[in-house]
Amino acid sequence: MLRTLVYLDADLASSIALRYICQLAQFVDIKLHSVHVEEPDQDGHAPGTGWVRRTWESTVLKTGEFEIAQLIKAEKSSCPKLGAPKMLIGDRENEILREIQKESYDLFVEGSLHSFTAKKLYDKIHSRLYRLIPCPVIIVKNLVNIEKVALIVRNEIESKKFISMFLKIFKGAKLKLDLVSCEFQEPGQLSFNAKKEINGTLSAAEEILVENKWPPENCLTIQGAPEEIADVLRDYGLVVSPLHHTISKKSNWFQLLNHIPSPILICWQ
Amino acid sequence: MRILVAVDQHSYSAHVVKDVAKLAGNTWADVTLVGVGAKVANIDSPSNKSGKKHPLIKTLQIYRRSFLKHFEKEESPYEKRACKYEFIEVKRGIWEELYVCRGARKDLKIVARSGNPIKEILAQSQEDDSDLIALGCYKEGDCQWEGIINFPQKVANNATCSVLVVKEEKQIRKIVCCLDQENISQKSIEMINQMVTLYQTELEIVGLTDGTTLKPMVEKNLDAILKYYNARQIKAWIKLVDTASLESFISQEARRSMMALWMGGQSIFTKIFPRGKVDKLIQGSKSSVLLLR
Repeated sequence: MLRTLVYLDADLASSIALRYICQLAQFVDIKLHSVHVEEPDQDGHAPGTGWVRRTWESTVLKTGEFEIAQLIKAEKSSCPKLGAPKMLIGDRENEILREIQKESYDLFVEGSLHSFTAKKLYDKIHSRLYRLIPCPVIIVKNLVNIEKVALIVRNEIESKKFISMFLKIFKGAKLKLDLVSCEFQEPGQLSFNAKKEINGTLSAAEEILVENKWPPENCLTIQGAPEEIADVLRDYGLVVSPLHHTISKKSNWFQLLNHIPSPILICWQ
Repeated sequence: MRILVAVDQHSYSAHVVKDVAKLAGNTWADVTLVGVGAKVANIDSPSNKSGKKHPLIKTLQIYRRSFLKHFEKEESPYEKRACKYEFIEVKRGIWEELYVCRGARKDLKIVARSGNPIKEILAQSQEDDSDLIALGCYKEGDCQWEGIINFPQKVANNATCSVLVVKEEKQIRKIVCCLDQENISQKSIEMINQMVTLYQTELEIVGLTDGTTLKPMVEKNLDAILKYYNARQIKAWIKLVDTASLESFISQEARRSMMALWMGGQSIFTKIFPRGKVDKLIQGSKSSVLLLR
């Protein structure tokens, strides 16, 4: 059973993430946990100590608790696996990280609406939480139907680790799978080729999946600009990608991830 | 709903008539096809010695046939009324012969006007109290109509109702929808719904941010719109765009998607996107543009 932690705020992104993970729970054996962190104030300091502090904390938590309860109530009918959220107080990133490390979750899920500018995703990937997180992450940018998953592979060495991470999460899921290799080019030259590739990465990845009795439906090489390839990948309910924390903002790979409107599963390398 | 279709004798007008016929098929709208000629006078009078029809009249009649061709004759809401005596059961077991007129549940008006095309089209839309003006335009380059430069732009900027500029022969893959963020009207949401149905396409809803976050009211509205479209099985995406990047976003998206902008009096887009930019959008866009009011 996949121990999954979903982060909730009382906002649209969290509502979408919640609906998405509940949908995913129909395909994967998931034990779903949710967490919300109430941040005290902008400088992050709680007032006083002892009784004063405890009373203040409980008041802050109660306010947040009501809003999150409303969010969960709205989704409860479509997601019976959803329990009461864990309410924490403190710095959002530190508290989530501590929670993931303490409970050894297998997967972290959070909503982050798709943005035209790259800054939002770049800051997230380079945040303290994502630099130190010990498990893969699903960033839910939009609410989509999960019917088909795309695995984008980069090179043979990386794909072994990345596919084994993917299989650990999704093994047994009845989802259609496509293997995709991307070749970046100037805009206006978008093309697809079934299995055409230079370095044999797709074949190697396909072999691993076949060995694990989950052969991909299609193996594709997509050539084009990052935004064009991302537009093609919008047809998938989940795009799985390996990622290094050191990725640069201007790299084609990062641009691709930013432009993909579907949820992305990041397997850290 | 009343749609005014402004037409001339170019191929893009034939294209827009077909699109509006499909739209009218979904909405059962009252439709006016209007053509404007510089010298439309005595078109059917005996003084017309040549015996030939005025070219504009001929074109309008072709468009009327093309429009009606979209509908099955018996099902068409625009089919002319046919009156005859019929026996109707007025009470159980009692029939009475009544004079019954059937058909033409909706109005299809063909109008030729003379004068300045922009003024005449706007005047017709005022007289009809139209909800939407639809007009065609070439896919590339400037949208010239009978030698009038930037014709669709001028209609779009001066109309008081919504305007749809349909670019010729362009398959629409996605409608990018910039609705007013805080005051979204049901009418505009439904108009978008109709466009999505008409073009069988996906929808992308833009949420404007002040750099990082959405205003709570905007977020609430986006959530409601998303639920509305999802309930209608319409695939809707959300994309956040920083106000400062809106112009570059729109010019980038207009190359591949149909743009729908809410330009009502109170709309934030009217402030961010003044007339000159609307002109540029209609001219530069390779896809159709819908200005909602």
